[in-house]
Amino acid sequence: MAKTVVKIENLVKRYKELIALDHFNLEIKEGEILGLLGPNGSGKTTTINCLLSLLSFDKGTIEIFGEKMTPSNYKIKKQIGIIMQNVAVFNELTVYENIDYFCGLYITDKSLRKKYVQEAIEFTGLQDFIKFHPKKLSGGLLRRLNIACGIAHKPKLIILDEPTVAVDPQSRNKILEGIADLNRNGATIIYTSHYMEEVEQLCTRIAIMDKGKNLAIGTKDELKKMIKNTETVTIEVLDLENSIISKINNLPHVYEVNYNDSKLRVYCSGGKHNLVRILDVLTQNNVPFGRVFSELPTLNDVFLEITGKELRDKED
Amino acid sequence: MFFHNFKYSLKNAFRQKEFLFWILAFPIILGTFFYVAFNSMYEKESVFNEIPIAIVENTENTAFKEVIKELSTGKAPMFDSKFTNSKAALEMLKSNDISGIIYVDSELSLTVSKDGIKQTIIKSFLDQYQIRESIITETVNNNPQNLQSVIDAMSQEINCNENLSLSHGNMNTYIQYFYNLIAMAAFFGSVNGLYIAINNQGNLSAIAARKCISPTNKLTSITASLLASFAAQLICVSIGITYILFTLKVDMGNKIPMIYLSGAVGSLTGVTMGFFIGSFGRLNQNVKMAISMSVTMLSCFLSGLMIGTIKVFIERYLPIVNRINPAALISDLFYCLNIYDDYKRYTVKCVTLLILSVIFAIGGFLQTRRKKYASL
Repeated sequence: MAKTVVKIENLVKRYKELIALDHFNLEIKEGEILGLLGPNGSGKTTTINCLLSLLSFDKGTIEIFGEKMTPSNYKIKKQIGIIMQNVAVFNELTVYENIDYFCGLYITDKSLRKKYVQEAIEFTGLQDFIKFHPKKLSGGLLRRLNIACGIAHKPKLIILDEPTVAVDPQSRNKILEGIADLNRNGATIIYTSHYMEEVEQLCTRIAIMDKGKNLAIGTKDELKKMIKNTETVTIEVLDLENSIISKINNLPHVYEVNYNDSKLRVYCSGGKHNLVRILDVLTQNNVPFGRVFSELPTLNDVFLEITGKELRDKED
Repeated sequence: MFFHNFKYSLKNAFRQKEFLFWILAFPIILGTFFYVAFNSMYEKESVFNEIPIAIVENTENTAFKEVIKELSTGKAPMFDSKFTNSKAALEMLKSNDISGIIYVDSELSLTVSKDGIKQTIIKSFLDQYQIRESIITETVNNNPQNLQSVIDAMSQEINCNENLSLSHGNMNTYIQYFYNLIAMAAFFGSVNGLYIAINNQGNLSAIAARKCISPTNKLTSITASLLASFAAQLICVSIGITYILFTLKVDMGNKIPMIYLSGAVGSLTGVTMGFFIGSFGRLNQNVKMAISMSVTMLSCFLSGLMIGTIKVFIERYLPIVNRINPAALISDLFYCLNIYDDYKRYTVKCVTLLILSVIFAIGGFLQTRRKKYASL
């Protein structure tokens, strides 16, 4: 059985009247990539900051590698790598110097540090930019530098707080591949994001957060099984009578039908041939139709069903 | 860990363009400006130029001719004299080539075209000559046996005031501007001190948060950064002092090593004060920078950098400000070195600055030592 790397119990964090974390619980096993998924302001970063002993909290306990996490527990801190939401590098130092500096806060042996810095540079693909200053780097390269600074000392637990915000798709893919590689090399990873595709692609387990609470946790399949919806069928129909809508609604496994803006949406729970049965009804009643889509539930559907709101902000 | 932090803090400091401008380039530029602006005044006070005069001899006066000849030669002549006729002399006076014409008749007379110091000097010389000439003439006529003793008495310089020098320093008033300039340069170290606080207090910057998460002792990290900033500051201030002393050749007295020591003490105060200001509150970095610069400029203003007499005014009405204003204290260090031969006053100022530095450093550390924050 895998060891527990992080254990958060009953964590409460208040900012005056606002409850940022409301009896939050979380357990992360060794070798996992745990995704903390939630909209902006759901408490993901607050959880990370409490975990790192940067933020004080009102109630609860945090254990990392089986020990209580405190600001002076350097034994635990040595094994943690953090990649922050905001790029945290010195503009006056070069790429190499930045990585060397932050690695040097963990690794005192010079020759070992040199080796680690070189490996971090290769890992993040920054070989051609080692003498560049951060101001000369593109957004994607800057994020990669930020990651290199956080992982150069080869931590066992890596925390990535929204590392792909404002990053181009190419760099984003490179970052996600790199995180998967780190995990393959033995690191346990906590990944916070409000991009559900990233979390779905990368994480072995996902915790859905909202209003400081851990609403659900499990693999993506386990989470999807938690909700009623198993399939959503969308059909473009120009005109549809209410009687036909009723017929569709009465089909087996159909639990909700919407018809808006010439789009028929049918929500199904279970069943194998829902699409065929719906199209049969339309054909038998001589209803012409256009494009047809059948979608499996996404994490957004999971979030929508659990919280009653969309996961993603409109601007995203 | 200490040297790792020290090395990178030093690199960081020397690559900050703002820092290099304010601490290194700005004092050199302003120092050069002061030098150009004050140099002519300085020269006027220290160098006496010979006075051009014309002598029109209508009557032969061998004694007077000899005296004029004597005063117009030598290492530092009093007059640049020309013996000529009346017409030529008047033309020279008209065209300002000479300051006055001395007519040698039965009596001596002077013609000048305007009032001024040079004209007054010529007049004084003539008056004194005539008085002495009449004394000698009278002695020859009435008491010829006393002639030698009268001449001897006249040869001795009689001065009722004794000139006592307290030091071998430069008494020029414009030197104060250079003291203030070095004080300001030392004091601009506050910018670097400010960055130390921002880069070490977890709730002020992402870099600080990253450092707080690392297994690094905060006291070690901050001490290394403070010392690195102090070293960078000291190097820049020393370059500035060297430029003022040896390139501009501004005379700041003969205690050269102590001048550098004063720069070091000032730099320490500047860095620690910036660290202290930076560690307070959760204000935006730019706001903190503005506060730090305002405090620095106000302190320099009160020490007399912009208006030389302001310090005297404060000394008269609110002397406590001059006792605790770091810029005034740094400026005073140089003043004490230049003016006083003993180190009593210098030591008092120096110790006051060191105490202030310790207070700033401890105060700043107490603010930044916190390990957990209520909000980030």
